[in-house]
Amino acid sequence: MTIASQSTREALVAVPVSPAPTAQRPPARRRRRLSQNRWGYAYVAPFFLVFGAFSLYPFVYTAWVSLHRTSLSDIDGGTWVGLENYRDLLQSEFFWNAARNTLTIGILATVPQLCMALGLAHLLNYKLRGRTFFRTLMLMPYATSIAAATLVFAQLFGRDYGLINTALEAVGLERIDWESGTWSSQFAIAVIVTWRWTGYNALIYLAAMQSIPGELYEAAEIDGASRWRQFLHVTVPSLRPTILFTIVVSTIGAVQLFGEPLLFAGNGTTSGGSSGQYQTLGLLMYQQGWSNFHIGQAATTAWAMFMIILLVVGLAAVIGRLRARADR
Amino acid sequence: MATVTFDQATRSYPKTDRPAVDALDLQIDDGEFLVLVGPSGCGKSTSLRMLAGLEEVDSGAIRIGGRDVTDSPPKDRDIAMVFQSYALYPHMTVEQNMGFALRLAGVAKSEIARRVAEAAAILDLQDYLDRRPRALSGGQRQRVAMGRAIVRSPQVFLMDEPLSNLDAKLRVQTRTQIAALQRRLGTTTVYVTHDQVEAMTMGDRVAVLKDGLLMQCDTPAALYERPANVFVAGFIGSPAMNVLTGEVVDGGVRLGTAVLPVPRDRLARASGGTGRVTVGFRPECLELVPPGEGVPVVVGVVEQLGSDAYLYGTVGDERSGAPLQTSDVVVRTEPRHAPEPGQTVWLRVREDALHVFDPVSQVRVD
Amino acid sequence: MTTTLPGTGTTEVRPVDVPRGRARRGRGGRSGKAGPVTYTLLTLAALVSVFPLYWTVVAGSHTNAELAETPPPFLPSAGLFDNFAAALEQAPIGKAILNSVLVSGAITVGTVLFCTLAGFAFAKLQFRGRGVLLALVIGTMMVPTQLSVIPLFMMIAELQWVNQLQAVILPTLVSAFGVFFMRQYLISALPNELLEAGRMDGASTFRIFWSIVVPVARPAMAVLAMLTFLTAWNEFFWPLIALTTANPTVQVALAGLGSGYVPQQAVIMAGTLLGTLPVLIVFTILGKQIVGGIMQGAVKG
Ligand SMILES: Nc1ncnc2c1ncn2[C@@H]1O[C@H](COP(=O)(O)OP(=O)(O)OP(=O)(O)O)[C@@H](O)[C@H]1O
Ligand SMILES: [Mg+2]
Repeated sequence: MTIASQSTREALVAVPVSPAPTAQRPPARRRRRLSQNRWGYAYVAPFFLVFGAFSLYPFVYTAWVSLHRTSLSDIDGGTWVGLENYRDLLQSEFFWNAARNTLTIGILATVPQLCMALGLAHLLNYKLRGRTFFRTLMLMPYATSIAAATLVFAQLFGRDYGLINTALEAVGLERIDWESGTWSSQFAIAVIVTWRWTGYNALIYLAAMQSIPGELYEAAEIDGASRWRQFLHVTVPSLRPTILFTIVVSTIGAVQLFGEPLLFAGNGTTSGGSSGQYQTLGLLMYQQGWSNFHIGQAATTAWAMFMIILLVVGLAAVIGRLRARADR
Repeated sequence: MATVTFDQATRSYPKTDRPAVDALDLQIDDGEFLVLVGPSGCGKSTSLRMLAGLEEVDSGAIRIGGRDVTDSPPKDRDIAMVFQSYALYPHMTVEQNMGFALRLAGVAKSEIARRVAEAAAILDLQDYLDRRPRALSGGQRQRVAMGRAIVRSPQVFLMDEPLSNLDAKLRVQTRTQIAALQRRLGTTTVYVTHDQVEAMTMGDRVAVLKDGLLMQCDTPAALYERPANVFVAGFIGSPAMNVLTGEVVDGGVRLGTAVLPVPRDRLARASGGTGRVTVGFRPECLELVPPGEGVPVVVGVVEQLGSDAYLYGTVGDERSGAPLQTSDVVVRTEPRHAPEPGQTVWLRVREDALHVFDPVSQVRVD
Repeated sequence: MTTTLPGTGTTEVRPVDVPRGRARRGRGGRSGKAGPVTYTLLTLAALVSVFPLYWTVVAGSHTNAELAETPPPFLPSAGLFDNFAAALEQAPIGKAILNSVLVSGAITVGTVLFCTLAGFAFAKLQFRGRGVLLALVIGTMMVPTQLSVIPLFMMIAELQWVNQLQAVILPTLVSAFGVFFMRQYLISALPNELLEAGRMDGASTFRIFWSIVVPVARPAMAVLAMLTFLTAWNEFFWPLIALTTANPTVQVALAGLGSGYVPQQAVIMAGTLLGTLPVLIVFTILGKQIVGGIMQGAVKG
């Protein structure tokens, strides 16, 4: 037994009595800080080199460009015009048209998409045979590129050979010239976006649903809540941060909408339809810069887009904070 | 092998107002098994990590084998550590886990294999050398962690609560094995635990910490018999020592209506003019005496353990029945003649077993 | 005095083998069995998800006139292969696929490497300015691509990189999402004690990264690689600006195909199919992992 095997040693006792011995403690030396790891910089350096050169610098430079009248041909030159581009932008009917279209397409594409995603996630959360099969199929559209998806849907929505019009005719309805109408074209573009992203968002919601503790449902069940009420009072509140997150991400995506309206017409023009009926901000920016060669204007539009995104994110942050406070 | 010295070693974490380890002075002999014990957050792990080189030393010094290692990185200290979570590399087999340090040190392959095999034999791990940690039981993982430390034949072993992830039975078993292994290897060992039973059974000496300050460092027997202050008295031993503070009267301290006799010289030095004194006595150092002779205690709960019985009571007054002092007292008695709850018993403290403390400084008075 | 050791009987029991790292997942809320309605709805959703892709095959194998018939054809025909040939002739799809493989591969390797390095530093190393730098990374996730293309275009024009693959590789070589994703994973999957064990065993900082961090990070790196490859393959806006149909990626070639100079819908559809096939194949093989990766990323984010 250990107790028997000890030798008598001087007990080193530093009794913690009130007069603290702090006074005669040796002064703290400057040391190589073990926890301050300078290697951290080495690890983030490659990232920040590329990041700085190709993201951060351009970001700032765009602001600079937006204060100039510059065209793609005189890249270095350009005349300082201050805020003139911004004034022009705000007075431009093209800008307001594109902003309006972006808003309506954005709403058409985001709201039904997220609602359907929530419903799908709910269904996918049941005990299912072929779980993986369903999940994988629903993610297929996400794997399809914007270009491919738009080309296919342009075909489906085609006036003369499109399957949708064929189907409409078969049930005795009129063929629709989807591309030329304002609402019809915006609806079609929203369908493309919805098709590509619904499955993805459903998986995000599903993941969030699966991290809700089962006890919560059991408690609700014991309290006599029906399945629908459980969905309403347990699932949805628990998903609130995720929902807010997907709203923000989808909105950021919608503000940047570009490929779909560019390729939907099928003729490569950047005007977003003959009367700009589905011109979006992203497309307008491309048109200004790469069709009309007004780089300064394009930069201004880009900044306007960023401002809109900031507004949305800021709004979401405020809502998130308020809700969190309300919950407490 | 080597000695280990903490010389006024201090560590303050950034943005904290009090050092986590405050001017720690500790001298550990060559081959000694020293246990650091104390309540949660008292700075045990921090002390150990300072020794390991994982935590900075803000002031003071740490020496291993007489060499100042205060500023050396861990790899230059010739120490090995067993972590609480074992920290086994999940993607390496048991063999690779144990040989990793040697491989990094450039030891020849055959030599690594020999030393790993040797350690595996000691720890009874031969059959698991090709397994990944994920495929081992908790006890086996613990042994691999030990093996990883011993293959290196370091000067010092450091162990931070290495048994806390085992179940109670395995823990008792492993604790004996570790102690035996350490004696066999003769390697200086610093062992951290919050469990005073582990500390008492394993350590050659035990250092008790509280709030970053060293309270006492001595052999388990000495800690038990001569605790240096009230904290150590209460921390070591289970159930804890009874510690009561009372008014000094002629020849003793008043507890309830009774007077506990205390030698006059100790009484004088302990009270220091305050008129009060703190006394301590362990539950097993009390004798039942006929009514009226000792301190009256009203029994609240009786705990039957089979070999012993523990009475949990309150120092009380027989006539009024109401407790005069709120302090609770634990008494060990014969299990067969244990009194009933609600009964009043009369107790006498064996004179050699009475501890006296200064109620202000909390320090022991002999 | 008795010789009994004090309190040998008391042992505080802690949970055996506390699972470390990732927190226990909930049971997934309602885990009731799915009824026929659920299956019907899900099958419908799955059909809607896949039908446009199937329709690409059908439309890619019939002429405009055939597609306009009532009822339209619902099965592919051998004409598909003729249209493949036509598409390969009229648009540089073959070259585009090769380019896309190169570009996406390079981007994937770079992104995974750089993001693992940076994610590790943000998760586990203390250094001055860490919080600010991380905030910077996260903040730029909100910045639209549109905001950087103008200076980038000037840059590559200056460097004479227009129509060269490095013009699309380099700017996409890192991703803020990737850093954040790796950081979140490593915070929970890589216990500090493992790194400390490495230090005690005498591993250098680089060795710790290579022999301890990378093996632990491997599952997350695989997920990041798949998602990055997919994103890079589908990247549209910047390649459209930096490249032309003379040296395109798949998306640029498809954009060209859809820009009105090909009169036959079938050829466009056949080309679309060719350009999408590689990801569809990858997706068929790794679909399960990609699904898992996205769901895992969602919980971390
Ligand atoms: N990284 C840190 N930053 C700030 N304070 C810390 C840090 N690590 C520990 N502390 C504080 O230092 C004190 C001592 O911590 P330490 O980990 O040494 O305690 P311990 O005795 O090992 O406790 P336990 O038995 O719970 O492991 C505690 O008050 C703790 O809160
Ligand atoms: Mg500790």
